[in-house]
Amino acid sequence: MGFERKEPEQRRRLLEALSAARISTGTLWLQYFSIGGSVGEYEVEAYLQGMLSVPELERDLLAMAANELLNNQPGPHAPYADELPNSDSNGSEPGSDPAPGTGSGMDAPGDEADPH
Amino acid sequence: MTKKHLPLDELSGAIGRILGLLLTEEKVDQAVQSLSLAIKESVPGTLGAGVSILDSQARRTSTGFTDNIVEQADFLQYDLGQGPCLTAWASEESVLIEDLGTDTRWPEWRTAVSSLPIRSVVSAPLIANGRSIGAIKIYAPEPAVFDAGTVTLMELFASPAATLLSHIQSTETPQRISEGLQAALHSRDLVNRACGILMERHKITHERALQQLIGNARDQSRILQEVSAELVAGIPADHN
Repeated sequence: MGFERKEPEQRRRLLEALSAARISTGTLWLQYFSIGGSVGEYEVEAYLQGMLSVPELERDLLAMAANELLNNQPGPHAPYADELPNSDSNGSEPGSDPAPGTGSGMDAPGDEADPH
Repeated sequence: MTKKHLPLDELSGAIGRILGLLLTEEKVDQAVQSLSLAIKESVPGTLGAGVSILDSQARRTSTGFTDNIVEQADFLQYDLGQGPCLTAWASEESVLIEDLGTDTRWPEWRTAVSSLPIRSVVSAPLIANGRSIGAIKIYAPEPAVFDAGTVTLMELFASPAATLLSHIQSTETPQRISEGLQAALHSRDLVNRACGILMERHKITHERALQQLIGNARDQSRILQEVSAELVAGIPADHN
């Protein structure tokens, strides 16, 4: 299974945020499930281990779930797909562009400085 | 993959639905019944589906079926002490029967079910905490309906289902369900209703609606549940 270009970086930084705040996969999954996530707990575990690719919307929901659990405490936050550098101009995946009204360069609060 | 392979997001949706179902079920009998129906609806070409939970002596402790053909075929397996689900349970490996007409692995069971409309079978073990607790199975009346892709799909259902079923079976489950999970289900419902409103209002897909909610929550530095609750309550939270 192929990985979309941003996916490894998004996953790595999600893991960083989770481990810094000592949030377990079970806790993350329940929060993610509660905000409408549709990937099962085992698959989320597999995603975190880099064994499974999940769609961008689900990755953003995982990031949002993690950030909601972090609740503005200091430390790394989980990035959303549109906060990551676009390493090439891929228009591959339908629905991979940012949500309408989000604005691509917008500074989300708690956002880390973008590398580059 | 095969033509019957489901795209990941569709598959994830199916798994999410099953998890949602199981989380709300407090009794394992109801859970296995709901799971059978969900599997039947999710696997293309399936005539019937069933779930069996077994104890360590291969006695069935709970069963769920979508119809009585599955029930009969299953009953015969446990009566004869042989069949694909028992093999899946005992070997902890999935079983694929492409055509029961030519598959001779379970001769007595095969003869016993020969009058039933069963030619294709997939059975996957339910493994929780390293222990095989039962099997899920699907049947179809024509040969070659299922393939390796179907087996993978069934295994994807089996792993989260087994974990949840094993929790439901244990005594601490009611507390576990009533605390975190009730709140999670309530919140999830709210988000889904908010998505429904956006889908209707802007004629967009569920994915788009969810993306928009995420965008709104990020813009407003608020949690998704709050943004959804406002939308459901009629306050226009999706302004730009």
